[in-house]
Amino acid sequence: MDELRDYSTDAGRRMGGSTSPQIKLSIQNLSVHFGVVTALSDVSLDVVDGEFVCILGASGCGKSTLFNVVSGLSRATSGRVVLGGQDVSNRPGQVGYMLQKDLMLPWRTVLGNITLAASLTRGATAKDRAEAADLAARYGLGEFLNHYPHALSGGMRQRVAMMRTIAAGRQVMLLDEPFGALDAQTRLGMQQWLLQVWRDMHRTILFVTHDVDEAIFLADRIVVMTPRPGRIAEILSVDLPRPRSLEVLTSDIFVGLKRQIMQHLYH
Amino acid sequence: MKTRFKTAVTPFMIWVAAMVLILIGWQLVVWLTGLPAYVIPPPAVAFGNLFDNWPQLQRLTGQTLYETAIGYVLGAVIGFLLALAMGQIRIVQRLVMPALIISQAVPVVAIAAPLVIIFGFGLMPKLLIVAWIVFFPVVVNVLDGLASVDRDMLNLARLMGGSGLRAFAIVKLPACIGPLFSGLKIGATYAVTGAVIGEWTASSKQGLGTYLLTANAQMNTAGVYAAMLLLTVIGVGSFLLVLGLEIFMTPWRCRSTSPAWMQAQRTSPAKSLA
Repeated sequence: MDELRDYSTDAGRRMGGSTSPQIKLSIQNLSVHFGVVTALSDVSLDVVDGEFVCILGASGCGKSTLFNVVSGLSRATSGRVVLGGQDVSNRPGQVGYMLQKDLMLPWRTVLGNITLAASLTRGATAKDRAEAADLAARYGLGEFLNHYPHALSGGMRQRVAMMRTIAAGRQVMLLDEPFGALDAQTRLGMQQWLLQVWRDMHRTILFVTHDVDEAIFLADRIVVMTPRPGRIAEILSVDLPRPRSLEVLTSDIFVGLKRQIMQHLYH
Repeated sequence: MKTRFKTAVTPFMIWVAAMVLILIGWQLVVWLTGLPAYVIPPPAVAFGNLFDNWPQLQRLTGQTLYETAIGYVLGAVIGFLLALAMGQIRIVQRLVMPALIISQAVPVVAIAAPLVIIFGFGLMPKLLIVAWIVFFPVVVNVLDGLASVDRDMLNLARLMGGSGLRAFAIVKLPACIGPLFSGLKIGATYAVTGAVIGEWTASSKQGLGTYLLTANAQMNTAGVYAAMLLLTVIGVGSFLLVLGLEIFMTPWRCRSTSPAWMQAQRTSPAKSLA
């Protein structure tokens, strides 16, 4: 139950806060070549504990390749990934991972899908199920514990996928366009929901998107990537106050950042 | 409760209506063509023969049902295990697939003769013929089920630390259950055909198939129809039985929430392996 503690008042974990930021994830000089194609070229990025980093770029800029390498699913040609001081290059299962596809197992209920990681590793215990039920109840799915995924809407399924990722217990979570398949209204609701979950759970999030508004609304920092070869063009800090409400979407800082990013993406 | 009652009764009524329609059609053919009863007996005559010879027919039905059921289970189990092995081990699939296709290209009737030569008259060749027919749709469907599992899902399972038997049982095996039942349903209607062919070629013991042949030779057309009716009942009955089992085994396909008995298991602290 430790992870359900409320961290919303803890401003110190934000970058530039009173406590010194601790580097949680360090991506060091990653390059990936597929034959003659360079998918990633010398990508380096340090992510602070508890930080929300958005990786923004058009398709083909190597966002998903970067995630596959960080998660350990595929190998980098050179460079390494350091998590909490340990080299985790090519070691799958060290970070949480969530995709645009919700990847629900249709034969497992909401509860069964949330406890999937436990079932896969050691068998879900009553404690796992109780924690999953608490999590679901806390984020508005308490009524749906025994529902099968096909009976839920796309937005609800993504929430279940998010809770499954949280329940897996990894401190760093990679979210690869998790709301890409949702309609605009649902997506906005899900973004606010995600910020609330992130605030409550004290996790470090890397979030891939091609939606500029989404990146600015969510992130502490935005990593802008450009394609051919995939590399980091610029890293921008988002100095919008938290918690963020919908009003920030029309603020001057927001619009200014958006203009700056658009110049990078479509120059 | 009312809607639940309705959903249970409606398909039943449709079945009754369909059977009544078949009987009416049968009777109409008899009336319109004016053919004598030794060519096409009217339904009443066929059913009359069935009831008159019931004690004997009951015994024969039992025998044919026995061959069908055992052969069916044998074929289904072999088919399922073979498909799992083929799905998991690539080289097995490559080697076995041509043999499988060849096995189904050989006419079943032609297989009967060598089986009798090997095993002699008796139960074994009959079981093998039924199993031979049943196992193919099972293998093909289960293989499709295994191949249909999303690659990203397998990657996710790997990232969550799932490996080996556990990941297989949680992510892959349940994906085969739906396709397995598709194969089992096809097999259920074919199995009785296998039993009849088996009886025609390999039987030392009387069954409905042998009765049908005897009745035919004796110009006992009503007897032929009575046997045919009973064989149909076995086929339809097996199909419905498998269908019922499927609905029970795959609740996620037709319900929005898990059945109560599963929920009880989920929340019970004693069960640790979900």
